[in-house]
Amino acid sequence: MAKEDPIRFTAADRARFAAIADHLIPEAEGMPAASAVEVQNAGLDHVLSLRPELADSVLRGLRSGGEEDGGAAAERLNREDPDAMGAIGLVASAAYYMHPEVRRRLGYPGQVQRPVTPAEEDDFRKGGLLQAVIDRGPIYRPTPEEGGAGG
Amino acid sequence: MSSGMESEGAADVLVIGAGASGAVATRVLAEAGMKVVCLEQGDWVSPDEFFGHTPDWELTSQKIWHPNPNVRGRPDDYPVNTEESDVNPLMLAAVGGSTVIYAAHWHRFMPSDFRVRTLDGVADDWPFAYEDLAPFYDAIDTEMGVSGLAGDPAYPETASPPLPPFPIGRIGRRAAEGMNKLGWHWWPAPMAIPSRPYRGLSQCARRGTCMQGCPEQAKASVDLTHWPAALKAGARLVTGARVARIETDRAGRATGALWRDRAGVDHFQAAEAVIVCCNGVGTPRLLLNSASARFPDGLANGSGMVGRNLMMHPYAAVVGYFDEPLDSWLGPAGQAIHSLQFYETDADRGFVRGAKWNAMPTGGPLGMRSAYGGKPLEEAWGANLHKTTAKRFGRSFEWGIIAEDLPDEANRVVLDGSLTDGDGFAAPKIVYRNSENTEKLLAFHLARAKEAMEAAGAYEMTTTELMRDCGWHLMGTARMGRDPETSVVDEYGRAHDVPNLYVYDGSVFVTSSGFNPTATICAIALRSAMNLVETRGR
Ligand SMILES: Cc1cc2nc3c(=O)[nH]c(=O)nc-3n(C[C@H](O)[C@H](O)[C@H](O)COP(=O)(O)OP(=O)(O)OC[C@H]3O[C@@H](n4cnc5c(N)ncnc54)[C@H](O)[C@@H]3O)c2cc1C
Ligand code: SF4
Repeated sequence: MAKEDPIRFTAADRARFAAIADHLIPEAEGMPAASAVEVQNAGLDHVLSLRPELADSVLRGLRSGGEEDGGAAAERLNREDPDAMGAIGLVASAAYYMHPEVRRRLGYPGQVQRPVTPAEEDDFRKGGLLQAVIDRGPIYRPTPEEGGAGG
Repeated sequence: MSSGMESEGAADVLVIGAGASGAVATRVLAEAGMKVVCLEQGDWVSPDEFFGHTPDWELTSQKIWHPNPNVRGRPDDYPVNTEESDVNPLMLAAVGGSTVIYAAHWHRFMPSDFRVRTLDGVADDWPFAYEDLAPFYDAIDTEMGVSGLAGDPAYPETASPPLPPFPIGRIGRRAAEGMNKLGWHWWPAPMAIPSRPYRGLSQCARRGTCMQGCPEQAKASVDLTHWPAALKAGARLVTGARVARIETDRAGRATGALWRDRAGVDHFQAAEAVIVCCNGVGTPRLLLNSASARFPDGLANGSGMVGRNLMMHPYAAVVGYFDEPLDSWLGPAGQAIHSLQFYETDADRGFVRGAKWNAMPTGGPLGMRSAYGGKPLEEAWGANLHKTTAKRFGRSFEWGIIAEDLPDEANRVVLDGSLTDGDGFAAPKIVYRNSENTEKLLAFHLARAKEAMEAAGAYEMTTTELMRDCGWHLMGTARMGRDPETSVVDEYGRAHDVPNLYVYDGSVFVTSSGFNPTATICAIALRSAMNLVETRGR
């Protein structure tokens, strides 16, 4: 599928993105901060190469407002421009959760290949799990003898 | 025919739409020696266009591979006006149609589904019974390579599916234990996905990305299961071919179809017979777009039923969270087990008919995030984000509820007055509201599903009362029946008003059942196409 060129972000844009992203996804609970996994650099570019339609809203959000820290910018955008805030939040969290280090810490291998092994087959029979359903017997209504005429 | 238009050699049969029904029909007819041409507005999709084997998967599922054509906005798609609908119709324009992105739940209807008027006093009976369709279900199961377990007590005895069922895994076990506690029905889910290698299909790798296209070429989508055989039998498939209208002659017979290619060139494909397989939205749209002086209200619309009785299966869900890892991203994405405990009518509940439930995985970390839209920042983000993710991610499953919606003439597909597709042809508009019966049904089923989650040991739950992007199943808009006053086609899909025009897709359904419909769509297409072969020239 054709990927459009990502928008050129200035160093200031990226710094702002990192600041907001770190407010949304801080270092806490044993997880790294967003900027520690480079969401503002490779992450941002990669996500926007797949979702170029988000770029305008992200950029608008980053370039609005004056001097303020990431937290203040996020709160302002959330109030005044939820669309930009949504786009920044989506791009930041997507870049974050796509990063191998983050996945490793979550114990998430990704959507990997795991074909059925013989050991797993018939797991529904273990401990009589399915037998209980069979023992309860049929639950459907059969076709009535006198079928209707049909519309 | 206007100048500049290319005319193609006449076909015995023209099939419009290369999705589930079109593929099944084309294969049968071509293998019977007929000269078949199929026109499809979409293209072949190659597995390297899917993202399931990369970390990009979840992100692309929200746009490039979103099931809603209005979100996806590919040039092949046509837009749908949904301003007056409670539910968005979902579909894909491609060789294989929507099966390229379907979840491949593979269920037959129950006997009562064909006799709702007789049994429950609502809607209409179908012109045939479960027993008439059963052999075609069996045949289609073999063509698709269904994995499942015979003996489900919710059905009369059936043949064994060709492949063994998938293991139910951790989420299936949790769900099943809860159901057993309550004494409620469940069964390992039948899937049109091969648990072992089957014919041309790979063994499923359980990536769980089925609804964004299967990168393994495992899932039984009809581009893999039917099109190769159809082409080998001599059928001609034209892609990038958007059909504008079906033409008729003075005698009121279909003569073929006008279509436009990607370069904007118009063509006419002549045919002895025309079969419309454009799905429950695309088919009425095309019939309405084919209005003429002789058929001013749309082709085959003497009954006024073309576009009416749209049924889309309102969907509700309960997600439960558990205090143990459940691998909740493991595929197939569709379902581990299903339940039909509350499928049949019980008058004491205050509504008729019921729903099928499916216990399904909940996917990746990003999908989980979408549940947070609109909440205060500190609730959804910051340290709370990490806390919630650690607590919930990989530790949940969903009981999804597919509600049977009854046919209602007010729920319908019409032509939009101004919206068009990329070729300037009128786009459809959906007018669709949930009925009181549906609302009562959903409320009852949600309450029971919460009980089931609780019994399964969930410590917390979230509920979706009606998912807007749930119009996976498109049915009823060219209904079959014996009476030309109240139905569009007969039991073999032949239009009452136009003797060489047929409809084979889910539009012909009389009622919706509470099941994923594609097994039934394919079985009906097979039965209808075989009848066409048998009665040809009579
Ligand atoms: C995300 C998703 C998940 C689903 N999951 C399941 C499931 O688990 N189980 C199940 O049973 N069903 C499922 N479904 C539904 C299933 O995909 C459909 O029931 C099935 O594909 C319908 O077959 P069809 O032949 O009627 O139409 P489609 O498969 O939709 O094919 C119609 C074809 O006609 C073409 N067409 C339409 N108009 C024109 C025109 N004017 N000119 C040329 N071509 C045209 C379209 O491009 C399309 O390719 C799912 C659907 C979606 C979208
Ligand atoms: S779970 Fe199986 S069918 Fe689904 S995408 Fe993965 S390999 Fe394909």
